[in-house]
Amino acid sequence: MIRLNDLKVSYRIGNRVIDAVDGVNLTIPDNCIVGIAGESGSGKSTLMKAIYGDIQQPMYLSRGSIDYGLKGTDGKPVTTANIGKEWFKTVSYIPQSSMNSLNPVIRIREQFIDFPGTDSNKKRVLERARQYIGKLGLPPEAMDSYPHQLSGGMRQRVMIALATFFQPELIIADEPTTALDVVVQKEILMLLMELQEQMGNTILVVSHDMGVHYQVTHKMLIMYAGRVVEYGDTESVFADPQHAYTRMLIDSLPTIGDDSMRGVMASAAGASGDRAYDAQPVLVEVKPNHFVAQSTAAKTLVAGATL
Amino acid sequence: MGLLSFIAKRIGLYFVVLFIGLTITFMLPRLMPINPVDGYIGQLQSRANGTLTSEAIAEMRVTLEQLYGLNGNVFVQYVSYLKRIVFSFDFGPSFTYYPQPVSAMIMNALPWTLGLLLTSTVIAWTLGNLVGLVAGYFHKKKAASILEFVGILLYPIPYYILAVSMLLLLAYIFPIFPLSATFPVGQMTPEKFGMIIYNSLLPGITLVLAGFGWNILSMKALTVATTEEPYVVYARLKGASNWTRMTRYVFRNALLPQVTALALSLGMVFNGALLTEMIFSYPGLGLVMRTAANGGDYNVLYGAITISIISVATAGLVIDLLYPLLDPRIRHK
Repeated sequence: MIRLNDLKVSYRIGNRVIDAVDGVNLTIPDNCIVGIAGESGSGKSTLMKAIYGDIQQPMYLSRGSIDYGLKGTDGKPVTTANIGKEWFKTVSYIPQSSMNSLNPVIRIREQFIDFPGTDSNKKRVLERARQYIGKLGLPPEAMDSYPHQLSGGMRQRVMIALATFFQPELIIADEPTTALDVVVQKEILMLLMELQEQMGNTILVVSHDMGVHYQVTHKMLIMYAGRVVEYGDTESVFADPQHAYTRMLIDSLPTIGDDSMRGVMASAAGASGDRAYDAQPVLVEVKPNHFVAQSTAAKTLVAGATL
Repeated sequence: MGLLSFIAKRIGLYFVVLFIGLTITFMLPRLMPINPVDGYIGQLQSRANGTLTSEAIAEMRVTLEQLYGLNGNVFVQYVSYLKRIVFSFDFGPSFTYYPQPVSAMIMNALPWTLGLLLTSTVIAWTLGNLVGLVAGYFHKKKAASILEFVGILLYPIPYYILAVSMLLLLAYIFPIFPLSATFPVGQMTPEKFGMIIYNSLLPGITLVLAGFGWNILSMKALTVATTEEPYVVYARLKGASNWTRMTRYVFRNALLPQVTALALSLGMVFNGALLTEMIFSYPGLGLVMRTAANGGDYNVLYGAITISIISVATAGLVIDLLYPLLDPRIRHK
């Protein structure tokens, strides 16, 4: 179980401070896939970086903390300070631009062993890796290939193989299927779901694609302007969105024969608008396991939307 | 398959370049308004106070035209010119040092030039890349910007000023190196070899300094750009060490354009030779070319030009054939 306690993550640029994630309280249970949605600039990627522990200038944690509730390879609890040692062992990562995330001039097998692993015997690790990628639908020769010799789907499988090889407790997937065509996209998502079921770990999936969230995730987190506006079981969020912004996101999924997009975009202008729309939103549990940000402003929106 | 056709194409291109180069060298003197034979005869005539008979002049003209390869029409001359150069590497005799053959003069001077300039170019390239890599990889650190400063300081100094200053500083004010170096000829002995190395140090250091700055700046810029590449960021998030990322990720990728730059600067070696060898009185091809240009020794001049064309084209060929070793995207198409 991962707990974010009033987490605030900021960027310092010159004299300016930008709060990209602004007071997030969240509990992510074990053994589930959590989808994170929200527009560009809503703070999803910053939140993911903070959870992954990739905190570098000019980004910093300005308030709050993260309880991972995980034990590292050395048996000590994982914290923001020591998480760097646990990368790809306890916590791992599937990058956004998976197409360019493999070094073009070295072979795949070398990219399996050029970081500190759990086993110092590289030969043994490679032997295991060769078997492992077979299970992920890759031919064993893929290990001896250079990245440009693999297709986009194969490369993404390699990324998933790398991320899941040490059976991590938490995987962060930052738009893992953005660059892929729909058929490959589906295969990759199925693979992720399968692996999650086998490993029983937690996967955080960032995506712009509400269709992906609907198919893959158990829980949904909707972010807007650095805050969580809605969080709950995916089915419940999709069936009965409580926040106007969530509704807009769901409604923006194009449906065949539906030409009502103009109306949706108009209401989006109402939902977004001023960043200081809400001083301190509080997540209120409207249904079991389904939270929505509420305050005076949000309430009117929600009320306006339901009426 | 892709690799084989790459190599075949590149070698084919090499011969095309050589052929075009040789053709231009053949055409150039024939496009000049002065006839070297007339000029030479005029010179002799004035030296002999006009006492040469017209028979003697006619005889001399035939001999000289033979020496210059001017018998027959242009096409016949062209074919025999190509034949002489391709099959026997013969540029005719030198006029200033008659009857010494030009090819022998070039072959004497070439090892000096190549030894000094290739070595110093490669050293400057290697050092510049290493310093540039460190300066670029740690570009956010203060200490690294000192390394970059070295490049910014050295790069804009014109070579002749650098060379003269070095000569003044290290041979005149602090006489560590000889002001006018002597380079022993003949049979190589260990003492002679040591003397040559010692006397070549000053021009060598100057050449390295001159080439070093550009390599630092170029490699630094490439490194900074490469550190932002998604695969380097991903390697960091994988937990790969700084050393692994710097050497296997950033260096391997940033090196590729620098290899092309090396090929280009090897091509410039003969440009450098002229100035370096004049300033340091170094007995290479540059000095031979200068003497030939001053004395109107056409055969030597065209021989030297031909040899520079061959060397530059060969350097480019070698580098291009090395490229697939560094970039698997060319090797496995």
